[in-house]
Amino acid sequence: MRRIWSLVFLTVLTFSTVWAEGSKETKGEGSVGAASGFANKTLNVAVFQGGYGRDYFDAVAAEFEKDYPGTKINVTASPRIWDVIRPQIVAGNPPDFVYLSEGDQGGLTVGMIKDRALLDIGDVFEMQALDQDAKLKDIILPGVLSSRFCNPYGDGKIYLAPYNYVVMGLWYNKNFFDTNGIQVPKTWDEFFALNAVAKKHGRALFTYQGIYPGYLEEIIFPAVWAAGGDEALKAFSNFDPNFWTSDAGKKTAALLERIGYTDNVLMKGTVALNHTQAQTEFMKGNAMFIVNGSWFESEMKDAPREEGFQFGFAGVPSFDPKTPVSCMASYETFFIPAKAKNPQLAKEFLRYLYTKKSVRLNGEKASGVMAVKGAVELVKDVITPAAYNTYKAVESGMYPVAGRWAVLPSNSKLVINDEVYNPIAGIMNRQMTGAEYAAKLDKIWKQARKEIDAASGQ
Amino acid sequence: MRRNGIGKTHAGDTGFLALCLLPGLLLYGFFMLYPAVRVFGASLFEWSGTSDTMRFVGLDNFKYLFTDKNALKSLANTGLLMLMVPVPTLALSLFFAAVLSRPDIPERVFYRVVFFFPSIISFVVVAILWSFIYHPTMGLLDYLLKGIGLGGIEVPLLGNEKTVLPAIAVILIWQAFGYYMVMYIAGMDAIPQDIYEAAELDGASKTRQFFCITLPLLWELIRTTLIFSMNGVIVISFTVVNILTAGGPNWASDVALTNMYRQAFGNANFGYAMSIAVVVFIVSVFLSVLSRRIGRDNNDL
Repeated sequence: MRRIWSLVFLTVLTFSTVWAEGSKETKGEGSVGAASGFANKTLNVAVFQGGYGRDYFDAVAAEFEKDYPGTKINVTASPRIWDVIRPQIVAGNPPDFVYLSEGDQGGLTVGMIKDRALLDIGDVFEMQALDQDAKLKDIILPGVLSSRFCNPYGDGKIYLAPYNYVVMGLWYNKNFFDTNGIQVPKTWDEFFALNAVAKKHGRALFTYQGIYPGYLEEIIFPAVWAAGGDEALKAFSNFDPNFWTSDAGKKTAALLERIGYTDNVLMKGTVALNHTQAQTEFMKGNAMFIVNGSWFESEMKDAPREEGFQFGFAGVPSFDPKTPVSCMASYETFFIPAKAKNPQLAKEFLRYLYTKKSVRLNGEKASGVMAVKGAVELVKDVITPAAYNTYKAVESGMYPVAGRWAVLPSNSKLVINDEVYNPIAGIMNRQMTGAEYAAKLDKIWKQARKEIDAASGQ
Repeated sequence: MRRNGIGKTHAGDTGFLALCLLPGLLLYGFFMLYPAVRVFGASLFEWSGTSDTMRFVGLDNFKYLFTDKNALKSLANTGLLMLMVPVPTLALSLFFAAVLSRPDIPERVFYRVVFFFPSIISFVVVAILWSFIYHPTMGLLDYLLKGIGLGGIEVPLLGNEKTVLPAIAVILIWQAFGYYMVMYIAGMDAIPQDIYEAAELDGASKTRQFFCITLPLLWELIRTTLIFSMNGVIVISFTVVNILTAGGPNWASDVALTNMYRQAFGNANFGYAMSIAVVVFIVSVFLSVLSRRIGRDNNDL
């Protein structure tokens, strides 16, 4: 009796799945909805829940499930997502699709890059976009896929996929400049000339997020590019042992020294301020310029500011009028762990994230701009005007410098960001000259180069 | 179970006792001992903390530690804090304990409460509070200096390499002295009054009584709190430094634990970070043993 029932049960089960398969609809455009091609229909997505929140991921996952019936996307989000997924990764059971912030607190991304634990996703970008007649790699903004953000080992292979992009550089109070007829500087000489104007109005010229000198990368990388072009930028990021004795290196160190040693340029007390305090001082009018990124306005939306304050983005000046103004571009990234259980569906999910519907959702729910052509216009009405202006500035000629270090070997103890940015406080406190700084970093560069060469020689 | 004699533990009782201790032992073993053993083990490997493979490197991590100028600086800074914090903290605690034990101060309960407060605030809150006190242009300290006419000194204490460690030491002293003060008050209450009365009759002044009666009798307690205080420096400095200065400027306030944390989570070098932890452990144990030795020499009673 029991055997008959189990047979009936089995038959019913088989027929119901066949029936479900048959009733799947395929959309008119592209190949959205072909979920029958996937053996495994469950996808585990882990996302960092930070400035961009989690609503976008929940929403796009729901849309994906609708367009690919039968699939199930499990989104795990947390402000400390690295603590949640680290044990899974260490146990060899990572999520299928991961979004970690560029800030990389928790060091998970850098660890996985060092361990070569990411899946090569170059093939995804060779595929057609789901809602356009173009290859995915052609709808991503130019230069992104070849930048170190997506191509960490410098070998042309893509291991990280671009998500939101942010633009960083100098900010000023647009209203203050317009009212007083001040011109936005295009070269560093023009910038320092404004010091006289600053003195007249009783403000310092520049401030930055003191205890987090890493923010200064937003002017250092563009300055290196402005000083010596792509070659210098490459030498800088790849730890060329001759960088700090080259022209570009000397110019960059001299620039930092000029900021620290010229009276009235650096706002008093800057070095001791955290990011919120420094940014508030800037908005209150105690400094004319500060470095920050396109998130500035929404981060400080409740902060006090001087009368009529307006966000203005100036990018980063160049060293001579013939070189364009530049800015630092950074890209949030996604990755698929090499040991993911369901890489097939993860890749399809990645393709889906680049559809216009998803880009629009990202703008609405996360106020983010994806590194996709046309994304800025698509989300214009849902991002802050200040953010919109930064992206427009890039599109109208400001050169985006994608600043990123080469990957140091996994046993390197050099924390390169600390080595580069921590000593700057010494320059700002006038306890170290630009030349001493360059000499210090020259040693670090030589050590880094040695470590990289030793590791690749193995 | 029936007891036949007072104070004797019978077989049944031993079983019961073991059962009572078991959960505590298991939790301790699992959450304290096992991770500690893993830390010692991991320090001999090279591990990124994000994979399931570890590479055995023996003592290489330790060898690198002694050449890594940043690690050495962080250890030196921790050492400096250990010189600047425990002794003043305990001295302050002793002083206030003695003063607030006198019966002729009516507000002494109020003072005891107020002084004890900082030690029960979360360390994170303490750090944020002091980041505002030390704020270069709108901090409490700045207003204080302006109030007594020294407003010309614009001292971004946390931004200057020479002043940042003392500034942090002040925070650690402020946070802890109330805690030890309460311990000393309890210790002093345990000293029988007759000794003081006898000394009073002999003509000893209050100060003399303090140094010749109170201090020697509290010595055991002081030795123990010294060890607590030194460990407190290592642990609390991590939170305070992380929030206030992020180790800067230029590594001037970097302490052993912030360096370790950065290597583990910022640089995916778990094995190396564990070797830093092992070194801190060894130094801690050494200092504890040392302070007990010194204490023993002084205590001739």
